[in-house]
Amino acid sequence: MKTTLKIIVAGVFACAVPLGMVHAADDAAAAAEIKKSGCLTCHSVSAKKDGPSFKSIAEKHKGKADGADLVKTQITASKEHKQHLKTKDEAQVKNVVEYILSR
Amino acid sequence: MQDWSKLKLGIVVALVTLGGTVLAGIASVAGVVLTGTEEFCSTACHSMNIPAAEFKDTIHDTNRTGVRATCADCHIPHHSVVAMLVTKTKAGIKDIYGEMTGVIDTKEKYEKERYGMAVQVWTVMKQTDSRECRHCHTATKMNPENQSETARKKHEALKSGGMTCIDCHFGIAHSEPDGPGPQELKVAK
Repeated sequence: MKTTLKIIVAGVFACAVPLGMVHAADDAAAAAEIKKSGCLTCHSVSAKKDGPSFKSIAEKHKGKADGADLVKTQITASKEHKQHLKTKDEAQVKNVVEYILSR
Repeated sequence: MQDWSKLKLGIVVALVTLGGTVLAGIASVAGVVLTGTEEFCSTACHSMNIPAAEFKDTIHDTNRTGVRATCADCHIPHHSVVAMLVTKTKAGIKDIYGEMTGVIDTKEKYEKERYGMAVQVWTVMKQTDSRECRHCHTATKMNPENQSETARKKHEALKSGGMTCIDCHFGIAHSEPDGPGPQELKVAK
């Protein structure tokens, strides 16, 4: 019984490793898209630049249900925030939004 | 006869001293020049491999015109020879000591010190109104027609003296550290 339990626990942790790696890969993809789209000209991850830092954007939208939608509109369609993501792929856009809101 | 020997000796000594001084002078100037090259800065100290690798492919490394700004262009003053020599001497002593004692001799140690090193440089830039940037970039000679509307509007802030280059243009040559940036630094001018 004890051995079985140990194996199960070990298995759960083993699954967490590739899941963690997938998350890291998403971060890298998001960072690459952000760089490609020229966002870093005005935004930094943690420092105030021309625009707010991703950290402060994440803080501002913390716990808010519409946070993701607001950020998505800003970086894909907003007329005031004229600079938009280069990619039009929904999954990549969602990934970038999640990346920003998780800083 | 004795007088001639003394005179000859005197002349030889004077010539050797003069020659030695000239050679020492040439060697010093060569030393100052050679320790300001991109090759020296990025390879003489192991720890500098990291910022050198980060610099690669950035806008100051490679761009449309091939005009570059390398280590000394941004980190060593050019406005006065004395300032240049003082900075190189102070930094050189500090860096040699640091390299010998391994302050940033591993990636982990480097990352730990990254923010502090960035703040050191940003502080100097804020105190000097980004003097080293302005050695190449003259704001009054920036052609607005060649800039995007956003850039044009933002550079208006330079005229009032409210902002300096480094306030926005940081993390462009080396990877940006985590933490508050130049705009959030309190700097005594």
